[in-house]
Amino acid sequence: MKDVVIVGAALAGVTAAGTLRAEGYDGSITVVGDEGVGAYARPPLSKGVLAGRDAPESVVLPALPEDVSVRHGVRAVGLDARARRVLLDDGGALRFDGLVIASGSRARRLADDGRPGQHVLRTLHDCLTLRSSLAGRPTVLIAGAGFLGLEIAATCRELGLEVAVVDREPPLRRALGRTLGDFVADAARDNGVEVVVAHSDSELIVDDRVRGLRTAHGRELRADVVITAIGDLPNVEWLDGSPLATRGPLRVDDRCRIDDAIVAAGDVCAVGGAARTPHWHSAIGQAQTAARALLHGDAAAPLPHVPYVWTEGHGLEVKLCGTLQPGVEPVVVEGSLEDRSALLQWLAPDGEPLAAASVNHRMPLARLRRMARPAPAASGPP
Amino acid sequence: MSDARVELDRPRCEGHGMCEDAAPELFRLDDDGVLEVLAERVAPGLVLKAENAVRLCPVAALRLTR
Repeated sequence: MKDVVIVGAALAGVTAAGTLRAEGYDGSITVVGDEGVGAYARPPLSKGVLAGRDAPESVVLPALPEDVSVRHGVRAVGLDARARRVLLDDGGALRFDGLVIASGSRARRLADDGRPGQHVLRTLHDCLTLRSSLAGRPTVLIAGAGFLGLEIAATCRELGLEVAVVDREPPLRRALGRTLGDFVADAARDNGVEVVVAHSDSELIVDDRVRGLRTAHGRELRADVVITAIGDLPNVEWLDGSPLATRGPLRVDDRCRIDDAIVAAGDVCAVGGAARTPHWHSAIGQAQTAARALLHGDAAAPLPHVPYVWTEGHGLEVKLCGTLQPGVEPVVVEGSLEDRSALLQWLAPDGEPLAAASVNHRMPLARLRRMARPAPAASGPP
Repeated sequence: MSDARVELDRPRCEGHGMCEDAAPELFRLDDDGVLEVLAERVAPGLVLKAENAVRLCPVAALRLTR
């Protein structure tokens, strides 16, 4: 292999590039990214950067080494799989022996007609646009009470703004389970956030711009600024017309492969028959696995993934490793939720660990991870 | 000896441990989840690893300077 092309210059793309070099690959690497800036840390966009505490430049991650060619502001618009070429929006094309698809995802919106007044928070640009909209002390309405929605709400409270969040279901039940999800939602309420559970989809109230949300029961919620934080959609449209064309995520095997020459990583893909896990930590593991699979094929290790997510706000810092099962609630291993500092563990009916979470409870991540998976057959001390 | 040095912006660090996974020779979360930089000066053989590690911090708290 002597020419690798990476579509996507965010975390998954740059991690794949770095891993190829770390694995000793010394051929050419070309990374194309449509954003016009280098990779940056996304988690602070809903927190410090939005609040104005952190400068936008402070989230930009260190650049790739000079032996990697990075083309910012260039978009991949097509794949010629037979000729092994990626087609670019500037009319050019890049030939490859190996391709890493890390084209990411974009914010899902309630209405896609470009009507003004509907904010999303996905990119640094989105963040700065929203930040300037918050400067005039508006009232804020957030559709979606997941991690992102509740983090934005926390930042709004920090800025002294009146804020409501609306969701179909009680916040974070799917992500954190009933016990911990409800605990975080209560912390948001105590922090002054109005949490509205609508039990079905809401629709936007729109005139010349987006004004608010109308629930299925006809309740109207209006605000000066309306933000949708209802998840993301994989960027796969550029693959239309190729054998990889799909309307869902790009499905890859447990080594992140589509075939021997094409791998994928990050928010665009779903690994090994599981659902997509569009999170920072997943993108890293997938990019490393994908890069190694491109170089070593079946000899590369499959994705060794224990999911890890975290959220911060309303006075809480929550870190969760592992995968929850519906109906399984955690046991408290240390501390207590009443005291707002706890270590929780979820156990399957057969007693095997499924997941573990720390709540305002600093500890090594490795320990949290060990508590989130079955003990290996022969293991050292915990 | 390489001149590369790890710089940690400690107030930013949230203890997610991604750097530790990527370069355990250089980073370690202690018992309280506080990040220790094990060798501020990076040995030449570890520079590539260090570069990769600082590039995946979810809060951009790490830099490599030379």
